[in-house]
Amino acid sequence: MKAQRENVLSIEQLDAFRTAFHEGAAEASTALGRWIDKPTRISFDVVEQLPLDEATRVLGSEGEPICFCVAQMTGRLTGQLILAFSDASGLALADLLLDQPRGTAGAWGQMETSAALETANIIACTFLNSLYRNFPADPSATSELLPTPPRFSRDYAASLIEFAVMDQVVATDHVLVAQTEFQIDGDPVDWTLLFIPDAESMMTLREALRERR
Amino acid sequence: MKGVQQLSRRTISAIRMGDFAVSANDGVLRSLLGSCIGLALYDHTHKVGGLAHIVLPQSRGHGGPAGKFVDTAIPALYAEMETLAGRSLKPTARIAGGANMFSTTVIQTIGTQNIEATERLLSELRIPLLGRHCGGEKGRRMSLDTATGVITIEIVGSDPIEL
Repeated sequence: MKAQRENVLSIEQLDAFRTAFHEGAAEASTALGRWIDKPTRISFDVVEQLPLDEATRVLGSEGEPICFCVAQMTGRLTGQLILAFSDASGLALADLLLDQPRGTAGAWGQMETSAALETANIIACTFLNSLYRNFPADPSATSELLPTPPRFSRDYAASLIEFAVMDQVVATDHVLVAQTEFQIDGDPVDWTLLFIPDAESMMTLREALRERR
Repeated sequence: MKGVQQLSRRTISAIRMGDFAVSANDGVLRSLLGSCIGLALYDHTHKVGGLAHIVLPQSRGHGGPAGKFVDTAIPALYAEMETLAGRSLKPTARIAGGANMFSTTVIQTIGTQNIEATERLLSELRIPLLGRHCGGEKGRRMSLDTATGVITIEIVGSDPIEL
């Protein structure tokens, strides 16, 4: 079981990463507020290592279809960055961005999808820039943290999480999931950002967070 | 015993990653799949069925839930069905899952290995594989009605199909 233990973060490493993640989430929330020109806030922010059967429940109702924009992380850390939201939340945000009365957007057309993707891109770039700045420096690591252009899709929440954690699952029975929820004051918009590193990045995280202590 | 649920009448049970469950004649077993494999075994004569949500092809001596690996999940599922029935069974099998939403090589490889390992072990155990619905980029909801043996596959944005 040695390999299993080596693929999870210690409590101290998890605390250190939690601080960096929280900074990134806060900056992403600020960027989201600027983008939509409305006050936003973080309603929930957690970094956990979960058993497999619990990991698939982090988005709540696992059997309901949800919308999401997913970007691959590239650079020093690799894995998935996912912005997940209900149809109602996504379409409400599209109304906001398109400056149209609430309830105008009723289905996922090209404009609505573009609004979601652009929002995801802004959040992902801001979050990863912050994480890169707040992450322990490694002189040999010159590559930045960048997201690929996000992709929009709809699927079961549990299936989405399963896809995202699969790379970690090869090495361990517990998976690292960092999650933050954004809310927009006065609007029914509730989005969740998920940071799910792959197995290689778990090694990078352990090494980097060991350097910090 | 972790990993095993014996179900009462008309129960709908969610089988999560690395888990499995069995039921006789009435319960509906259901699992949401992404890259993993859903394996349904069903004995039509005695109306006993089981569903496993399998994650990886080989345990290689690792601990963890029996339902996580092909080589431990299939014997455990089969044995639990026979325990529930109180007799030997002759089940048939159907599999679904093994999708690759993010187009990563690791997931593609695991999905393929899971399917191959499942087919190989089913063959060794002389369990006929009667249907498969695997691959693609989308998740699946796989449901086994143990009263009828009917297996339904649902994909978001598509009509349900009977496997």
